[in-house]
Amino acid sequence: MSARRGGLIRRLGGAEIAAVAVFIAVFAIPFLTNSVLVYSVLNQVLVGVVATFSVWIMLRMNLLSFATPAFMAIGGYTVAIAGRYNITDAFLLTTGAFVLPALVAVPLGALVLRLRGTYFVLVTFVLSQIMQLLLFETPGLTGGSNGIAGVPPVTLLGTELASNQQVLLFAGLLALLATLITALVTRYFRQHFAAIEENEILAESLGLVVWRYKALGFVVSAGVAGLAGFSLVNMLLTAHPSSFDSITAVDFIAYAIVGGRVSILGPIVGSSLLVYATNLFGTHGQYAQGLYGVLILVVILAARGGIVGAVGSLLRRRA
Amino acid sequence: MELRVEGLAKSFGGLCVFTDVRFNLEPGGLMGVIGPNGAGKTTLINVISGRLAPSDGRVSLGGRDVTGQPAHVLSRLGVARSFQQTNIFRSVSVRENIARAIRFGRRGVQPGFERLLDEFGLAERLDEQGDKLPYGLQKMLGLLMAFATGPHVLLLDEPAAGLERAERHRVDAFVQHARETAGCSVLIIEHDMDLIRRLCPRVLVLDAGAVLADGATAEVLTRSDVIAAYLGGAEDAAA
Repeated sequence: MSARRGGLIRRLGGAEIAAVAVFIAVFAIPFLTNSVLVYSVLNQVLVGVVATFSVWIMLRMNLLSFATPAFMAIGGYTVAIAGRYNITDAFLLTTGAFVLPALVAVPLGALVLRLRGTYFVLVTFVLSQIMQLLLFETPGLTGGSNGIAGVPPVTLLGTELASNQQVLLFAGLLALLATLITALVTRYFRQHFAAIEENEILAESLGLVVWRYKALGFVVSAGVAGLAGFSLVNMLLTAHPSSFDSITAVDFIAYAIVGGRVSILGPIVGSSLLVYATNLFGTHGQYAQGLYGVLILVVILAARGGIVGAVGSLLRRRA
Repeated sequence: MELRVEGLAKSFGGLCVFTDVRFNLEPGGLMGVIGPNGAGKTTLINVISGRLAPSDGRVSLGGRDVTGQPAHVLSRLGVARSFQQTNIFRSVSVRENIARAIRFGRRGVQPGFERLLDEFGLAERLDEQGDKLPYGLQKMLGLLMAFATGPHVLLLDEPAAGLERAERHRVDAFVQHARETAGCSVLIIEHDMDLIRRLCPRVLVLDAGAVLADGATAEVLTRSDVIAAYLGGAEDAAA
């Protein structure tokens, strides 16, 4: 067992270990503050990070996916619908929130992964739009435009996680799980993903089964998005179509690009900065969107590789 | 392994790129494909290597029908190709480029591979990033990556294009090595007629999407219709 664990750790690089450490540090927050505002912002950051991991996995293969909100909805509504039947066990819900979107991604991937570039972007955006339509038009299952309110809190080993601290801790656990899954997949298949990202035609001509790795990435990305949906519904105790609007994919893509697509730390840095900025600029009313846009422009123009990429370049230059 | 192409055709919508191309490349054999720009030579390689699906015809490898199989399947069956432009993983080292080719090809390191690396001057540049290499070395790295997959058939798309005259002997050495140590059959598309004459005992001429000639190189290259198609007229050729 210890040898296996050692192998697992060896597969992770410095950035992945740092990412895991960040989420372990989240567990210290409830012991440091009782501020509801801090909890709220941190919860939003954690949901944002997990959703951005979903986008980032696909970006590792040069695929810009707008399907994240659709898979978040499947994960989130799975939890909300299970709540109606008093299924609140954290392990069961986590498994369902990961596996169901991943299963849905298998046939969808077979269809959309044939496409590249703008066609892939457009089709994944349409998937999210179709999901919105399904959420609104199936009120018997999803509550339609009212959504599903009053989702019961999850229970972990028989304990109900209802307080603000417990919700934050559980969001931290889900983020930690999503980080481990993302890190293991992207590290284990690092060379395969990198080859597809850089030169798909060459990779295939050398014998790489490109569709297999794209499908794997798409399925894992869907599962991770499902965990983000679970985290969001658990924070709001409500599942509503507006929480999974297709346009939210733009935010997650912005988090990934601003943070930097070269490292798993990029989604963490990007989400933290932009979620915090959204809350900060929100106090400036009508200027909020403009200020947010200016921040994204400044970061992208000043650091093409995102914040993590720029910091990495600086450190390499100094070394 | 024998490569047999029968009645191969490729069209894009109403545009016919080539039609009824047929040839047989025996195990360990070597043939050139020449023709003016736009004759369909690169598309022919794209179709044989699985990059594009044929519109008609049949490709078989060692007696097995592989028509329309995707590129990764053909690569694993032993059909490797190089590209007209330099085609390497530009952001990683020479070592990583070769490692990926070996890993994706799944046939292990080819015999005498290190000697080739040394001969091409890549052995001492293994840690250099791909895009930092001079053009000629990037081109040779592309050829080595194709060879590293452990092919039975090598399809080389203008391997000497862009190389300085002094560098072109490396293509000769590469082809000789692939045939002698690994028993590869080699098909070369090239505009360098000296190289074609030097290397290929047999040549196939494509013109306007059809096979104009197929036979012994010395004989084909003196045919007036080939000269007319390739150089624009017997008078021009004579001049």
